[in-house]
Amino acid sequence: MTTRKITSEWILEPGTGKAIELLKGQVLRIEQVEGGQCADFNCFNLHDYKEFMHCGRTRTVHGFHPTKGTFMWSAPPRERAMLYILEDTVGRNDVLFPRCSAYVYEAAYGFSVHTNCHDIQAEAQREYGLTPDDVHDSFNLFMCTGVDADGHAYMTRQTTKAGDHVDLLALMDVLAIPNVCGADVMKTSNFALKPLKLTVFEATEADLASVPTTPVLASQRTPKDFKNPVIKSDRGLRRDPDYRPEFPNTPIVLTELPVALTAEEVTMLNAVKLTDIYGDDDAAALRDILFSWWEERFLQAHAGAPAIEA
Amino acid sequence: MNETIVKLRLNQQQLELMDRTIAQGVAPDRAALVRLALREYAASRKAETAGSSR
Ligand SMILES: [Zn+2]
Repeated sequence: MTTRKITSEWILEPGTGKAIELLKGQVLRIEQVEGGQCADFNCFNLHDYKEFMHCGRTRTVHGFHPTKGTFMWSAPPRERAMLYILEDTVGRNDVLFPRCSAYVYEAAYGFSVHTNCHDIQAEAQREYGLTPDDVHDSFNLFMCTGVDADGHAYMTRQTTKAGDHVDLLALMDVLAIPNVCGADVMKTSNFALKPLKLTVFEATEADLASVPTTPVLASQRTPKDFKNPVIKSDRGLRRDPDYRPEFPNTPIVLTELPVALTAEEVTMLNAVKLTDIYGDDDAAALRDILFSWWEERFLQAHAGAPAIEA
Repeated sequence: MNETIVKLRLNQQQLELMDRTIAQGVAPDRAALVRLALREYAASRKAETAGSSR
């Protein structure tokens, strides 16, 4: 067994969360103490809190249950791999559900005060000057969820045991905030709130070597690339009288491309064109065929997902 | 030979993707790329239908 160089350890008690400075090359282990406990998780760039983890991009790239061998990505326009899931002894995490909130417990269960992930995250993040509005969509560790035939997300009980853990390797300096999910009247954590153990240790050379290389692209923009790099510091919205729109690649201009089809090609077009969508507009049907073909032949990622292999 | 002219309406971004594909040597020009796409797309659909009808 590998000896880990441990930097720090905490026991995260029920109802609490902890903001942890996790530096590039360090690993945060979130571990079951008794088993059966969901952990919600937020993550910010330690040096620029406006870059934060984005469940939307993460689930598009890695599916609804990201596990060992996947990344947590930051939101556009940053879209960088922030953390790498180095180990996951369970393999059942969730990026479908939002954090539970006071509203849920008041509206559905009648509680005036109840432990909830939003407020726990906000209280933990307050140590670093963040406000309740800064809490973002959470990555839910150990949460057992799915999608039913009607398209609704559901959650059910988990089967985690003491010692089960997820190891998150920081690929940049981050503020990592795990919390014990406050849900004790839902199936999320099998109807009981239990502690979680947190350990920070240094990644080994082998750990670092196991991380796939991700792209470095011009589209991954930082404030130096923004037209307005200044963080707005008041709450009201007022129009900038000097604003002139500069949308890229506008205006969109159409060009007509005549294509001469042989009789045989016309037969092919008639056989495969999508008449229910394009009617008798053969030009639109042929354009669809062109770009559908392009996707099939040249696109490596799932449609709508970016390529993540460097 | 009997030819049918189909006039595709393409914007500058779609043309850029086509031109980058042409630059890889996939087809000699834009019209040829469209015809190649049609032939390959139709062929793969035909193969699919043949495969699924069994
Ligand atoms: Zn919760």
